[in-house]
Amino acid sequence: MKLKDQFRFILQNMKKNKIRVFMTVLATAMGCAFLIVLASVAFGLHDSILRDTLENRTINEVEVYGGEEGQGITDQDIAKFEELEGVRAVTRQKSVQQEAIYSVDDFQAYAPTVAAHFPSEIASGAELAEGRLPEAADEVVVGHHFIPLLTPTEGNPDELYNEDGLIKEELQFDENVIGQIFTMEIAKTDGDQETTEEFDVKIVGVMKAPGREWEWDQHVYITDDLLDELETFTGTPGAALMDPSTFEDVSAEEVPYDQVTVIASDLESVKNVSEQLEDQNYMSYSIVNEMEQMNTLFTIAKAGLIFIGTIAILIASIGIYNTMTMAVTERAPDIGIMKAIGASPKVIKRIFILESSYIGLIGAAIGIAAAYVISILVNFGLPLILEAAFDEEMPAGLQFSSIPPLLIVIAVVICLLVTILSGLRPAKRATEIDVLKAMRREI
Amino acid sequence: MIDINQLSHHFTLGKKGDQTSLSVLENISFHVRAGEIVTIVGRSGSGKSTLLNLISGFIRPTQGEIIIQNQKVSEFDESEFAEFRLQHMGFIFQNFQLIPSMTAYQNIELPLILKGISEQARKKMTLDMLKKVRLEDFSGHYPSELSGGQQQRVSIARALVLEPPLILADEPTGSLDSETEEDLLRFIQELNKEMGITFLIITHDDEVARIGDRTITLADGKMVESVVFS
Ligand SMILES: Nc1ncnc2c1ncn2[C@@H]1O[C@H](COP(=O)(O)OP(=O)(O)OP(=O)(O)O)[C@@H](O)[C@H]1O
Ligand SMILES: [Mg+2]
Repeated sequence: MKLKDQFRFILQNMKKNKIRVFMTVLATAMGCAFLIVLASVAFGLHDSILRDTLENRTINEVEVYGGEEGQGITDQDIAKFEELEGVRAVTRQKSVQQEAIYSVDDFQAYAPTVAAHFPSEIASGAELAEGRLPEAADEVVVGHHFIPLLTPTEGNPDELYNEDGLIKEELQFDENVIGQIFTMEIAKTDGDQETTEEFDVKIVGVMKAPGREWEWDQHVYITDDLLDELETFTGTPGAALMDPSTFEDVSAEEVPYDQVTVIASDLESVKNVSEQLEDQNYMSYSIVNEMEQMNTLFTIAKAGLIFIGTIAILIASIGIYNTMTMAVTERAPDIGIMKAIGASPKVIKRIFILESSYIGLIGAAIGIAAAYVISILVNFGLPLILEAAFDEEMPAGLQFSSIPPLLIVIAVVICLLVTILSGLRPAKRATEIDVLKAMRREI
Repeated sequence: MIDINQLSHHFTLGKKGDQTSLSVLENISFHVRAGEIVTIVGRSGSGKSTLLNLISGFIRPTQGEIIIQNQKVSEFDESEFAEFRLQHMGFIFQNFQLIPSMTAYQNIELPLILKGISEQARKKMTLDMLKKVRLEDFSGHYPSELSGGQQQRVSIARALVLEPPLILADEPTGSLDSETEEDLLRFIQELNKEMGITFLIITHDDEVARIGDRTITLADGKMVESVVFS
C-alpha cells in the first residue's frame, strides 16, 4: 500500500469524527505551546544575558593580573605568553600614574596617558583611523575622542559642551591634528614641593573609534622611551606623583606592566589559553570562565522547563491514546474485512501509527504558531506591565522569551515521539483484530 | 491448485483450567485442480466454514497441511498469509462484507490500493470491473443504498478485480432470491470458463451444487463423499 494512499485513508477516517480529532489536536497543540513558551523564557533570558556579557567585553581576551603571589608581569613573562598555543597577540600597557595636561594654541586637555607596545596593539586588532605609528621617542598616537574633548581655554565653560558631553562642534579643535606638536605637562614632587616640566610630543596618528558606541577612548599612547624619560624626570615608577626618595633607582629596576591582555586567535582557543596560563600559575580572567558557569546554569533551567512542558504533552497524549483506541474499536469490522482481503498487519499498524503521528504533527504545528504569538505578546507586554508595576524602566534589549530553531526541533521531536508512543498500543490492538470475529460483528 | 493433506482441526472451548476440546474436522484430504468448480456441502455444523476458513488462513489448523499453488500456506505467518490472499485469492461472503463507509467504487478499489497499484491503473481496472458486474450506474452508492444482489455483485467485483486464480465462497447465494441466484451462478460459470478461475464454493443449495465439477460432502467433520459430475 502506497504512503499516499495510506495518507488518504487516514484523512478519510479522520473526517468521520472531526470533533473528536479536533479536540485531540487541540490538546496536543496546547501541550506543545506550553512547552515552547515555558522553555522560551530560559532561552530568552539566556540570550539577553549572553548578549549583555559579550557586549561588555571582547570575548577572546584573557586578562592576566600577575603571578600567583601577585608579582607583576614583566617582559620575561610576556615572552612566555607569546609562546603559548593559540595566542594571537599580547598587548601590554604601562600607565602614566598622573594625569598629564596636553595643550596646543588655545586648547587644553587632561588625558590619561599610557605607554603601549604598538606592534602588539595592532596585532590585537586595534586600528589607526589616520596617520601612522610612532617611530621616534616623542611621537604619540591619540585615541578617537582626544580631539573632540580638547577644551578651548577661553569662553564660558558652561557653554562648551553639547548634549552628548563632547565639545560643541563649532568650538572644537578644527585643524589637522596629524603633525601637531603638543606640550605635555608632567608634575613631580620631592615631598613638599611640586614642580612641572613640559615635554613636546608630536601626534602622528589617531586611533579608530572603539567598537561600542558607549566606549570613549581619550587616551594618549606614548612610546616606552618617552615613559622612561618621564620616569627619569619624576624619579618614580610610572611617573607617579610621589616622593622619589621612597624608591630605589627607577631606571635600574624593571617596572611591571599595568595591564596585560592575551588575545587568543579565536573563541575556541580562549579556554585553552586560559588553562595554559593557569598551569603556569598566572592569575587570569576571561569572560569564557564566567560564560561557562552561566551556560551550565541555563542549560539546567532549559532542560527543567522542557521536562515540565513534556508533562503537558504527556497529558495530551492520554487524549490521543483515547482517540486512537476508540477509532480502532469503531473501525474493527472494516479492519477485519481489510485483513480478510489481504491487508497485512504491518500495513494496518502503519496506518494507525501514521494517524496518531499526524495528529501529533498538526498539534505541534498549531502549538508552534501559538507559541510564537504568545512569545511576541510576552516580549511586548511584560516590560510594559513590569514598568507600570515597579515604575522602573527595563534594560533595553531585554528579551523575556526567545524561540530558537533548536527549541522548535526539540518540541516537534518530543511531540512526535509522545504521540507515536501513545498510538502504538491502539495500533497493535488493530493488528490483533480477529478476522472472523470482526466479520461476524462481534467486536 | 489446492492440496489438503490429513487436515484436522479442533477448537478449544472454555476458560483456562476448564477447557474442552471440540473436534470439528478430522483427517480431511482432497485435491482441487486448477480450473475446477468444487462445491462443499453438508449439514449445518458439519465443519464446512471451518474448512474454508482454514484454507483462507483466517484460522490455523491443529494438524495437517494445506498447499495452494505449490506453497505450503499452513506454515505461513500472518503477514505472509495476508500477502498470499491478496495475490492469489478472492472472497465472496454470504453477507457480502462490504465496508459501509465506502462507495461501491471504493470497495472494489480497495484490493488495488492494498496492492499499491497506481491511481491511474486503478481507475481503469475499477471501472472495468464495475461494468463487468453491470453496476456502472451505482459506482457512487454506499452499500446501504444497494440491494442485496447488487451488494453481492460489488463483493464479487472486489474479489475479481485483482484477477486471482482462486475464489473461495461461503454460501454466496444465501442472502439472494432465486432469480438473483441464477444470475450469480451463470456469472460464476462464465468466469470459470473465460478466465479459468478455480472456485471453491460452500453451499446448502442443490442448484448451486449442480454447477460444480465435483462435490465434497462433509458430515461431522469427516469427508464422506466426493462426487464427480460429468
Ligand atoms: N470459533 C469457534 N469456536 C468454537 N467452536 C466453533 C468455532 N467455529 C465453529 N465452531 C464449531 O465448529 C463446528 C463447525 O462449524 P462450522 O461453522 O464450520 O459449520 P458449517 O458447516 O459451516 O455450518 P453452517 O452450514 O451452519 O454454516 C460447529 O459445531 C461450531 O459450533
Ligand atoms: Mg458455515
